[in-house]
Amino acid sequence: MSNLLLRLSILVTLVLAATAMVAPVFDVNLPHGIDFTLQNSPTPQKYLIETMPGGVALLDYNNDGLLDIFLVNGGRITSPMQMPENFDRQNPRYWNRLYRQNKDGSFTDVTQQAGLANAGDGNYGMGVAVGDYDNDGYPDLFVTNYGKNVLYHNNGDGTFTDVTAKAGVAGGGWSVSAGFFDYDNDGKLDLFVTRYMDWDTKHNKDCGGNYHTYCPPEEFPATTNFLYHNNGDGTFTDVSQRSGIAAKKGRALGVAFADYDEDGFTDIFVANDGMQQYLFHNNGNGTFTELGLEAGAALSDDGRRLSGMGVVFQDYDNDGRPDVIVTELPREIYGVYHNDGGGSFSYRSLETGLGVLSSGSSGWGVGLEDFDNDGWKDLFVAQGHVLDNVEHIDPSLHYLELPLVAINHNGRFERVDSGSTTPVAGRGAAFGDLNNDGWEDVVMTYLGGHPQVFLNHGGKLHWLVISLRGTRSNRDGFGARVKVNGQTRFATSAGSYASASDKRLHFGLGTAESAKVDLVWPSGIHQTLNDVHADQFLEVREPEKP
Amino acid sequence: MIRALLLLWFASQTISPEAARHMQAGIAADKQKQFDAAITEFKKVTELEPTFADGFVGLGQTYMEKHDFASAVTPLKRALEVDPDLASAHQLLGYALLAQGYAAQAIPHLQKVQDKTGLGIAEIQTGQLPEAVANLQAALAERPNDQDLLYYLGRASGLLSKQSIDSLLAAYPDSARAHQALAENYFVLRQMPEAEKEYREALRLRPDTPELHLELGEVYAGAFQWAKAEEEFRAQAKLQPGNAEAVYRLGTALLEQGKAREARAELVRADKLMPDMPETLYSLGKAASLEGDTATAEKEWTRLLSIEKETPLAAQAHFALAGLYRKQGKTAAAQHEMQEFQRLQTGSNQSQASGKEESAH
Repeated sequence: MSNLLLRLSILVTLVLAATAMVAPVFDVNLPHGIDFTLQNSPTPQKYLIETMPGGVALLDYNNDGLLDIFLVNGGRITSPMQMPENFDRQNPRYWNRLYRQNKDGSFTDVTQQAGLANAGDGNYGMGVAVGDYDNDGYPDLFVTNYGKNVLYHNNGDGTFTDVTAKAGVAGGGWSVSAGFFDYDNDGKLDLFVTRYMDWDTKHNKDCGGNYHTYCPPEEFPATTNFLYHNNGDGTFTDVSQRSGIAAKKGRALGVAFADYDEDGFTDIFVANDGMQQYLFHNNGNGTFTELGLEAGAALSDDGRRLSGMGVVFQDYDNDGRPDVIVTELPREIYGVYHNDGGGSFSYRSLETGLGVLSSGSSGWGVGLEDFDNDGWKDLFVAQGHVLDNVEHIDPSLHYLELPLVAINHNGRFERVDSGSTTPVAGRGAAFGDLNNDGWEDVVMTYLGGHPQVFLNHGGKLHWLVISLRGTRSNRDGFGARVKVNGQTRFATSAGSYASASDKRLHFGLGTAESAKVDLVWPSGIHQTLNDVHADQFLEVREPEKP
Repeated sequence: MIRALLLLWFASQTISPEAARHMQAGIAADKQKQFDAAITEFKKVTELEPTFADGFVGLGQTYMEKHDFASAVTPLKRALEVDPDLASAHQLLGYALLAQGYAAQAIPHLQKVQDKTGLGIAEIQTGQLPEAVANLQAALAERPNDQDLLYYLGRASGLLSKQSIDSLLAAYPDSARAHQALAENYFVLRQMPEAEKEYREALRLRPDTPELHLELGEVYAGAFQWAKAEEEFRAQAKLQPGNAEAVYRLGTALLEQGKAREARAELVRADKLMPDMPETLYSLGKAASLEGDTATAEKEWTRLLSIEKETPLAAQAHFALAGLYRKQGKTAAAQHEMQEFQRLQTGSNQSQASGKEESAH
């Protein structure tokens, strides 16, 4: 009898231990109505662009309270590529797609009626940024391409208008990620666009000898990024040179924003591939200074270069300061740059457990989101190697991978089941609460396939989702620092890889049933809300006066 | 030059003035790399003085300088007919034959002059691998930085190793050593599952075989399976407590998992077993730094820099120190270390990998 009791006691203890660690359970599927396939069009020519798309955005384009999904497509590539380059983007197979979410959780393809079908035949799609650049209350879309970028203004009636020419943001070359942010705090969203390298299909190279692989970035010249200042009249001015951004050439893929030194101006972190990472410090006078090396956020702790691809600029350890996580290729481990304050970072990949979790993986889209609502931001990484034949070169590596989902336990990450069983060549990832249940979901793209939607099954812990309504600041409130019960988020839709996430700010509250909300708006206005009830979607309007 | 002068003096004493003039003209043309003119002159010498061996040697040597090895053979053989002990003729003929792939025929001539380099290369081709290794090692002792010698010694050693392993696999295919050898091959090919399987079988057959756990640990480390790597390195360190490499590897496997305290203990042990190994010192500093013991981290990295000053590891130590000083607010020291890091990165072959900023200006 006593033996039986002991066994029961052990069993109960084990059950309690298992339930104490609340792991997110994603249901991975493709919601009804989404039939998008990411057409990267791999060829024997191994054109580099083939392995790099494509982004995804979560936005509520029609303000009906439900997140919609925008997916960026690649295009058709011929082998060899015919000149002039034509990616057949008028063919519906190669369209970008906008899916409107219906009340029942299904989606309807509204691409054509929204006016988003024409992506430009000379454009091979890469990424997307979302922001309300004209402060009219409707999120606008900026699509990056190999070719010319496209700015779509949201007309507020379910349609978009290509305003690229008027806005002056077409750029050129090979753009990948982009993000809206207000670098001069004038209340209007500016635009940053990363460019990968000086490359075109005519000057492609074949690497890997008999294996024929995509070439490493070092084979091609570095190039500059774009910074566009929003003039407030529907036009932008290219201030890349004037701001100092173009003084640094790089091989940029990801970009994320946060005010890392708390000087009131949003800074820029750029994930560069195969070289040092760039931290552009906002000097507050319209110029930036690249301080990656000086700040300790440019290389690994061994001084090695990183193959930076995706990046997130949020606070993972709840010390109130935005940290940086950069996704990389295998053998480099994802870079965790802990913000120590005083403008200095320290490399903490090993301490946070990411050495073990990532040293054999290739990471792209990345997000720090509290998937289990315990008050600590967890990690999601879309994974898959660059080379579609990497197993031939190194059998220990894999082209197709499962995403990494790692739960944050007091600043240390531990892998949990992602819910996905099919390895894919993951690329873009966007984060948001698709079904408005208070639990963060994920949409991930992968080459050659449908997007994967990771719906969070949720649990019993509490949450708070905040929508910002800027008045003096930009209407989206991008750049605001929002602190809820000791956790901090920096308002942005940018980050990850080539993707844009839900602009709403999600906080897990654990067992707390109320919250204290502290905000610092980009205008400098401080705002505090006490005793905010948990489990609600809260809109916070910026006071008109300080 | 001295040899040419001596040859000229000797020729003037032993051959006709006309032949001596052609000899002199041949040497001069050869010196100016006018090989065809030199060949014409040396041919005249051999016609005028058919028993003058050095005339044939000059002709053969010029052919060889012209890379016409086939044509060099006949005059060199003729020289040896005239003077069977003429060392220069043996040496040149040996190389002329070797260059055309006649290694077995070259060996007696090279042996005659004890040309260890030529002998070693020829013996690789004839499969006399132990002899080749011995001769190349002897040659390398005299010219330690000779690239060709380094290459050929590596090749001979590799072939010898392969020969030995092939014999093992043929004679004892089910032995622990055979499985170990197969595992090592798979490891080189980065076929980790196969390597693991073979190592496991070797361990099953002979659990106490030295190095098996260490090598299996390397397989796991190569596949980023750090917990398993730790287990194997720990087993090796238990079997061989005096094996500094095993203890060092155990320390690094722990470090990769972020287990700083345990890593540090093992690295301290490794440092005691084999003091002043730069890799150990670097990792020791890193482990201390992870634990927040900046004083020890600084001490170990500084110690490393007293041993290594210009290597990639030294660059890493400078970079680590820069970060450490930056956190301590020692701006000038941090800048100095960063400058040293950048200097070494710029100067090293890893400069491409350094992540040096690229300026648009």
